[in-house]
Amino acid sequence: MAGTLTPQRETIPQEEADVLSDPDRPWITIVWNDPINLMSYVTHVFMTVFGYPKSKAEKLMLDVHHRGKAVVSSGTRERMELDVTTLHGYGLWATVAQQS
Amino acid sequence: MRIRFDRIETELLTAMFTDLAELVEADAFDQADPVRARLFPAGYRDDDAASQDFRELTEASLRVERAERARECAAELGRRGDVVLEGDTAQRWIQSINDLRLALGTRLEVTEDDQIGETTPGAPLAQEWAVYHWLTGLQDSLVRRLMG
Repeated sequence: MAGTLTPQRETIPQEEADVLSDPDRPWITIVWNDPINLMSYVTHVFMTVFGYPKSKAEKLMLDVHHRGKAVVSSGTRERMELDVTTLHGYGLWATVAQQS
Repeated sequence: MRIRFDRIETELLTAMFTDLAELVEADAFDQADPVRARLFPAGYRDDDAASQDFRELTEASLRVERAERARECAAELGRRGDVVLEGDTAQRWIQSINDLRLALGTRLEVTEDDQIGETTPGAPLAQEWAVYHWLTGLQDSLVRRLMG
């Protein structure tokens, strides 16, 4: 949620997890590097969307830039789909995955 | 933050915002158009079924959102090219200018290694590259001013 000050997602009871997936593996949002989005913009998006402080947002942005991708949030599958939708709205390339 | 665009910049931005809004709203892309894929990427990387479900759930409203904010930006620009960027307006401009960069950058096939392109006057796409660089500078200024 834009502007929230809470960096952590609340965990949810196991029974609400997708029954087809391994309940021991949480869901994550991955942001992938791309050649168009500016580093300043990506940092801004992470601060705006997740409420991360600038230092954390910058570190995630640099991970995306140097390593090709970064995990930016984790939680329920539904929450990750919402995060990905929001990030797509900002023009970032993000996907939902299960933590391996 | 107040910006005054000159006449050419105003006309250019208005045309680009309007073109993007129309293209996105009508989904007038070729299905294989890389700009479409870039503006509406897959939600899952290795799961086509989940990606399709996700797309059916989310794409239509994202198309509307993109088109509406581009149109709002064009309206705010008006004919005088004078905009005050604060709060929601600033956020909307940052997103819409970025949409223009995504579309144009994809057309120009911008890569990590080639961010400059061929800007020699007379070279093919020289004007497009010049516009892309201008949008990049504008985007960077807006973001830095907003982030403080």
